[in-house]
Amino acid sequence: MYRRWLIVFATTLLLWLLVGQVNHYLAPFGVSISVGGLLVAFAALRLNLRNGLTATILIALTVDAAEPVPEVGHHLLYGPHLLLFTSVHILIFHLRTRFPREEMLFGLGTALLANLAIFLGLSFIYIELDAHSASGATSLRLLADLGWSQLFILAVAPWFFSLQQRALELGQVDLADESHRFY
Amino acid sequence: MSFNRFDQAKPFFTLGIIVFAWLLLPVAVKSFLRVAFFELQAPVQVTASYVRDLQEFWAERTHSKDELIEAARELRHVYAGYEFQAQQTDAEQAEITRLERLLRLPADPHFRFEPARVCRRDLSGWWQQLTIRKGSNYDLPVGAPVVYGGGVVGRVREVRAYEADVDLVSSPRLRIAATFENDTRPVSYQGGNNPPLAPAHGLVEFVPPDIVVYSSAPRRLVTSGLGEFPPGLTIGYVSHLETSPDGLFQAGEISLDPRLTELTEVTVLVPLQTD
Repeated sequence: MYRRWLIVFATTLLLWLLVGQVNHYLAPFGVSISVGGLLVAFAALRLNLRNGLTATILIALTVDAAEPVPEVGHHLLYGPHLLLFTSVHILIFHLRTRFPREEMLFGLGTALLANLAIFLGLSFIYIELDAHSASGATSLRLLADLGWSQLFILAVAPWFFSLQQRALELGQVDLADESHRFY
Repeated sequence: MSFNRFDQAKPFFTLGIIVFAWLLLPVAVKSFLRVAFFELQAPVQVTASYVRDLQEFWAERTHSKDELIEAARELRHVYAGYEFQAQQTDAEQAEITRLERLLRLPADPHFRFEPARVCRRDLSGWWQQLTIRKGSNYDLPVGAPVVYGGGVVGRVREVRAYEADVDLVSSPRLRIAATFENDTRPVSYQGGNNPPLAPAHGLVEFVPPDIVVYSSAPRRLVTSGLGEFPPGLTIGYVSHLETSPDGLFQAGEISLDPRLTELTEVTVLVPLQTD
């Protein structure tokens, strides 16, 4: 049973680390990629609530650990990714039965929309709420980063979904059975 | 029917419990989780950094002997120049120490120079940070200044066992007390205006109205010595100032060194305890 969330967490961790390396090389060009939506989409669409949410919480804590903690008022707001990732996960999970969630195209659309929501949420926390945020114009940079991120997700999402599906098959997890389980 | 309704609401109920539990969790537990999850991914980042170093090493091995001899000859010239400058610096330092004693002035802070390799660059619109390959294993303190050949890199924000996070000078999270070159009045510097596909910029505020800059001859902004940074380190160049809305001061943009985004090695200035 534990294999399901562990496998999905391992694959999302791999993607997160790869994106970190991509961002390292893109830094001199003033480009940054954020793939929060892609980290959440598969677990929310294909796993049951408990396994999917466990994988999402683990990857959110991993992302939070590497990023700065925003200061809201005089308090440190720990876990902005955790709050956003779990909220988006629950929303996708709630709506998923109404759509053909096993189709790649739908998964891709979900990842793009989820990424948009998470990106806007993070921008609100780090630009509007954070006490350290600058008064300068950062919206153009954020808009450009969002565009690059969505293009990147378009390019890698089919590979990443296939990787997760194949990894679960190798772990002898029956995704068809998983789809019928709610919790 | 009511069971179905609860079934539909259960995910949101679960979300509520998670958010509530997270908000109630003590800060110590959150900090522990943060450290634990960072250390989980740290070996991968450090390994990737070592692999990059290895790539660089093998790329440099492709140079011919003639190229290496030429480079060594150039280095000898540079080294001779630096040797002379080092002697001058020693003499000036001795003079400063003598005057400090004579005038009973408080001594300038002294630093230990700790070079460190950059293992991760994370420069987004939200934050601009570097992760370096040294941490509490080299006694790096939080808040220590980080510099390179071109001036200020940033400030150590978080120190882990074997790595440390540095807020870059272009990060909106960094504020420094600065002065214009050949002027002693402090102004405020903050990073933050980072356009896409272009070098980073910073913002300078509370500039006295009598300071004038021309776009044809930008003025150098340096650290003031107030705070943890030693005085005289280059932050960037100001080419344009505008009167602030209150009319009392001026504000403007600073061009930062484009090399900041390509750094592979930096130096952390670790303050030494002095009597």
